[in-house]
Amino acid sequence: MSEVLLHAQKVSIQFGGLKALCDFDLEIKSGDLKGLIGPNGAGKTTAFNVLTGVYRPTSGTVQVAGEVVNGRLPHQINRLGLARTFQNIRLFKSLSALDNVKVACLAESHPLFRASGIEALRKSGQSFMANGLDALNNYYDWWRALLLTPGFLREEVNIEDRALELLSVMGLRHRAEEEAGSLPYGEQRRLEIARALGTRPKVLLLDEPAAGMNTKEKAELMVLIRELRDRFSLGILVIEHDMKLVMGICEQITVLDHGETIAYGTPEAVKKNPKVVEAYLGEAAKTDRPIGATP
Amino acid sequence: MSKDALKGPLPVILALPVLALLQVTLQDHDFLIYLTSLVGVNVILAVSLNIVNGMTGQFSIGHAGFMAVGAYSGGKLSLEMKDYALSFLPHVVSDQISFMLAILVGGAAAALCGFIVGLPSLRLKGDYLAIVTLGFGEIIRVIVQNTEAFGRALGLSGIPQSSSLAMILFWVFLTLLVAKRIADSSHGRSLWAIREDEIAAEAMGVNTTGYKVRAFVISAFFAGVAGVLFAHFVPIINPGSFTFVKSMEVVVMIVAGGLGSTTGSVVAAVFLTLLPEGLRSAFSRLDDPSLAQKVDQIRMPIYGLLLVAIMLLRPQGIFGTHEIWDRWKKKPKGAT
Ligand SMILES: Nc1ncnc2c1ncn2[C@@H]1O[C@H](COP(=O)(O)OP(=O)(O)O)[C@@H](O)[C@H]1O
Ligand SMILES: [Mg+2]
Repeated sequence: MSEVLLHAQKVSIQFGGLKALCDFDLEIKSGDLKGLIGPNGAGKTTAFNVLTGVYRPTSGTVQVAGEVVNGRLPHQINRLGLARTFQNIRLFKSLSALDNVKVACLAESHPLFRASGIEALRKSGQSFMANGLDALNNYYDWWRALLLTPGFLREEVNIEDRALELLSVMGLRHRAEEEAGSLPYGEQRRLEIARALGTRPKVLLLDEPAAGMNTKEKAELMVLIRELRDRFSLGILVIEHDMKLVMGICEQITVLDHGETIAYGTPEAVKKNPKVVEAYLGEAAKTDRPIGATP
Repeated sequence: MSKDALKGPLPVILALPVLALLQVTLQDHDFLIYLTSLVGVNVILAVSLNIVNGMTGQFSIGHAGFMAVGAYSGGKLSLEMKDYALSFLPHVVSDQISFMLAILVGGAAAALCGFIVGLPSLRLKGDYLAIVTLGFGEIIRVIVQNTEAFGRALGLSGIPQSSSLAMILFWVFLTLLVAKRIADSSHGRSLWAIREDEIAAEAMGVNTTGYKVRAFVISAFFAGVAGVLFAHFVPIINPGSFTFVKSMEVVVMIVAGGLGSTTGSVVAAVFLTLLPEGLRSAFSRLDDPSLAQKVDQIRMPIYGLLLVAIMLLRPQGIFGTHEIWDRWKKKPKGAT
């Protein structure tokens, strides 16, 4: 059995009096393709924010690659192999598409002092020393860039190659030099995925990746998502409003409503679940309209 | 490999003879040297502030504070070292060695201040950060003004006039080289990412707080260096040279040049330094020479008007976030 890469156990978060997420459970392994659905305001995006460290859970634990990440910063959690896209596109708008991906393709660090050693220091309570060595490592990385060491130059070439390859994968190779903010909507969404892939994730969280696309684009995107999963052996969790799409590609679906998980299982089982029908499908199911599509 | 190994320091090695040549040719033109020195110091200030305000998108308005830290620590050091020439070396060489030492000490002191100010305050955003940096600049000024060792309001005089054109231009060159190489590396891209969208940058694995502090430290270092250079060619430094007005002057430069554009900062710094000098010499030709003396008084209003004009006509500055050479870069083959 492959290990669980992303594991949420009884995760809850409260904003003031509002329980935005309540006892949320999730398991993602390599190769999984799961869906997260629910009506507007159900807490789906909030779930992503808690998993990626934007918010700290009020209770429960989140584990990424076997490590408990409660209270860690988003960039630390990302480094453990969890990447995401945003519902309201958050590209680096005035940078080129290529630079957007290159930002995510962070240079391998070439530490003066080994990370394991620093971690050991920190665990033994000498966090001041550990922070100091960390800082020295960082400045050493800057020196490599300022002195253009051969290693640094090679790395820059590698980063560029990888970023270009990811753009090709997402069908954006021809847009490399264009400003991200000036791309058409659908391409911006694909660029966000390319960027997320740049961080070499093990698990990818996609927040409504097809929102705003036309039917044809949506269908293509879903095929692409499945290909990505196979090509990079990712675990993927997709938030999607369009019921047909989720049903088409996801193997397991979690349904949220008012922060509560009201159903979990295969698309067929979920579709028939009376709670889901009541809370969410309603008229849409009877008329066979996609969920979330404006009536 | 040996070719690659040279790449890093090569521009510096090539620049040295050019600077030496400049030094020799301009030797006897005092006013020209003074003017170029002033331009050089302002270019260093603008380019270094642009690393924080332009590349990283933070808003620091206390750059004169870091300049003051450099000027006073470096200047004080030179005053103390004045009598200790390295006797086995020719006088000029000994002088430049202790000058270099003062520059590095002044830069380091400013960088340390940058770290101390940056660490807690870079968790703040926008206006809050601006207020902290403003406060820092004022605190430094008040401290200096009330410390006997720094000459209180009278300032420090008698600092050896060691600044040479070659030394100043060398540091201008170094600042530009550092800014360019940051921009060409993953570090520069991380800074841009923070400017564009901090939440997304963090989600893509960029340690935003760490990067902001480091940008602040590097920027402060060069501001300190500029301060030391300045202290060694003006006859006297006093708290009045490092007020909020000076900080704003640098901010105007980088906004005019285009926040995020290093070349824009350079162009604007050169222009805005020469402008008052140009006005002065133009007015001095008129019948009423007192106008020339008024230039300093009307400088700030002119900057203000200029800023308003830029905001109205070209809010992104002369170059936006781009560099001069971006215009000539060819589009990729596949572009539509
Ligand atoms: N930072 C926050 N502060 C307060 N309330 C929030 C915050 N973020 C989300 N919420 C609330 O949590 C609920 C779930 O929102 P969200 O997760 O965005 O829903 P969706 O399922 O549509 O993605 C909403 O009622 C929203 O107003
Ligand atoms: Mg949402």
